[in-house]
Amino acid sequence: MKFQIPIGPQHPALKEPISLRMTVEGEIIRDADIRLGYNHRGLEKLAEQKTWIQNIYLTERICGICSHSHTTCYVQGVEKLMELEPPKRGLYIRTLVAELERVHSHLLWLGVAGHEAGFDSFFMYTWRDREIVMDILEIITGNRVHYGINTIGGVRRDLDEQQIKHILDSLSVLRQRSEYYKHLGTNEPSFVARLAGVGYLSREDAIALCAVGPTLRASGVPMDVRKDDPYAVYDEVPFEVCTAETGDVLGRTVVRIKELFQCYNIIEYLLKNLPSGPVAVRAPRRAKPNEVVSRYEAPRGENIHYIKSNGTDKPERLKVRAPTLGNYAATIKMLKNGFIADVPLIFAAIDPCICCAERAVSLVDARTGQEKIIVMNDLKRLSRRLSAGNIRKREAEWPL
Amino acid sequence: MKIGVFIPELLRHLFKKPATVDYPFQKLEVPKDFRGSPYLRPELCIVCRACERDCPAEAIEITAINEAEKRFRMVIHNDRCIHCAQCVDSCPTEAMLMDTRFEISDYDRHNLKMEWEYIRAVVKPKSEPKTS
Repeated sequence: MKFQIPIGPQHPALKEPISLRMTVEGEIIRDADIRLGYNHRGLEKLAEQKTWIQNIYLTERICGICSHSHTTCYVQGVEKLMELEPPKRGLYIRTLVAELERVHSHLLWLGVAGHEAGFDSFFMYTWRDREIVMDILEIITGNRVHYGINTIGGVRRDLDEQQIKHILDSLSVLRQRSEYYKHLGTNEPSFVARLAGVGYLSREDAIALCAVGPTLRASGVPMDVRKDDPYAVYDEVPFEVCTAETGDVLGRTVVRIKELFQCYNIIEYLLKNLPSGPVAVRAPRRAKPNEVVSRYEAPRGENIHYIKSNGTDKPERLKVRAPTLGNYAATIKMLKNGFIADVPLIFAAIDPCICCAERAVSLVDARTGQEKIIVMNDLKRLSRRLSAGNIRKREAEWPL
Repeated sequence: MKIGVFIPELLRHLFKKPATVDYPFQKLEVPKDFRGSPYLRPELCIVCRACERDCPAEAIEITAINEAEKRFRMVIHNDRCIHCAQCVDSCPTEAMLMDTRFEISDYDRHNLKMEWEYIRAVVKPKSEPKTS
C-alpha cells in the first residue's frame, strides 16, 4: 500500500519554505516530488527598474550566505558588458573575500550536518569557529553578512598591513580547528554511521542530472568552475579540486572539509602575493546593448547570471540560476529508496537555499498534474470564455 | 575505529572562559570601518544629488526649500536604509559619512528619520565621484 506524505511548506525540519511530497511504502520512499514557489520575491523584475550600481546591492540580497557569490557573478557580467578591466589588486581582494565566504559557508554547513545527524555539540563548535571568519569579514568590509565589497570595476575597500596580519593569525587558529573537525568527522563512529550510505548518488546520475558543487564532486566528478573556466585570479592561484568517491552524505562532508583546507591555502597565497596598485577603476553609468553570461563557483555550486543591456543605465534582463536549483533533480534521485528519517539529512546535504532558487512560477493542473506556463492573453481568453454565457448581475454587491 | 573522539574536547571546555560577552552591560567594539548609519555634514554638501541617485534603497531625499536662497533639505529615511555606504562612495566632497552606532532600533519607524536644512556649500569637489 502506498501513501503520500507531504513535508513542508512549513515544517520543523526545513529552514525555508519548500514542499516535498513523498510516496512511501512503509518507511521507504518510492517517489518524491519537489514543489517550489513559496518564496518567490520578484527580484528579477525589480532588477530591471534599478541602475547598474543599485543592482549590486539587490543581487547581494538574493542570499545571505552566498551574498558575495551573487554580487561577484553579477559584477563580472557587468564588467564584461562595459568592457572594463579591474586592477589586479582589486581582483585579489575580491577573490580573498570569496574564499573567506566559502570558509564560513562550509563551516556553517558542517554545523548543519552535525545538527541534522543529532550531533549538536559539533554544530555549536563549528558555528563558534565560524565567528572568527565573520569577524575577519567585518574588519575587511564593515559588515558581517552583506559585505558590499564589490563595485563595478573593482572593490570598494583596500586592505592594510594590520588587517593582513590579523587574517593570517586567525587563519592558523582556523586551520588547527579544521584539522580537529577532519579527525572527528572521519573517526567519531556514531557520526560516521549516521552519514555513510545515506542519499547515494552515482557518478553517472550526478552527471545526467546536472548536479553542481560539492554534491557533484562527492560523486567523483572533478568539476569546478574555478578550474574549468577560471575567473578573477583563479588561473594564477594553485589549488586542487576536492572530490570523494562514496557519493553519499559522508562524501559530501569529506569534500567540504577538504575544500576548507584548500581555501586556507588560497587565502594564504592571496595575502602573501597581494600586488600593489589601485583597487578599482571608474565605471561608466551606461552599458552598450549586449548580453552576457557570467559563471561563478559559489560554495554550494555553480552560479549563473545572464545579463542583457539595452544601452541605458538599467539592465533589460537579469536572470539568476542559483546552485540549489541545479541540485533539485539530483535530490529527488537521492531521496528515492531511502528512509523518511533521512529526508532532512539528504536535503540539508545539498545545502539548500530556497530564497536563492525561487525564480520562476508555473501553473499546475490539479486534475492531470500537467504543468504549463500561461501567458496573459490566454488568461484573458479563458476569463472571457467563462463570463460569455453568464447573465450580468446588474446590482451586484461588494462582498465586504 | 575509536570510541569517544569527542570526549577530550568536551572536558577541555569545562575549564575555558566563555566565548561570549555580557552584552547589554559589556559591549564589543566595532571595527574601524564599520558601516553604521549615514549622516550628512551639511557644510560640505554641494547638492549634486549623487547619493540620492545611487541609493539602492531610495532612502535619501533632497528637496529644495528655496531655490533663490539655495536652501535645501535632506532627509535620510533610516527605516529604509540598508547600510551599504554607497552614498559615502558616491559623494564627491566627503559630505556623507557613516557612524559606528549599531543599536538603532526604535518602536516607531518615523523616529528613525534624520533631517538637515542647509544652504548649499560652494566646495570644489576634490575628485570626481568614483562611480558616476
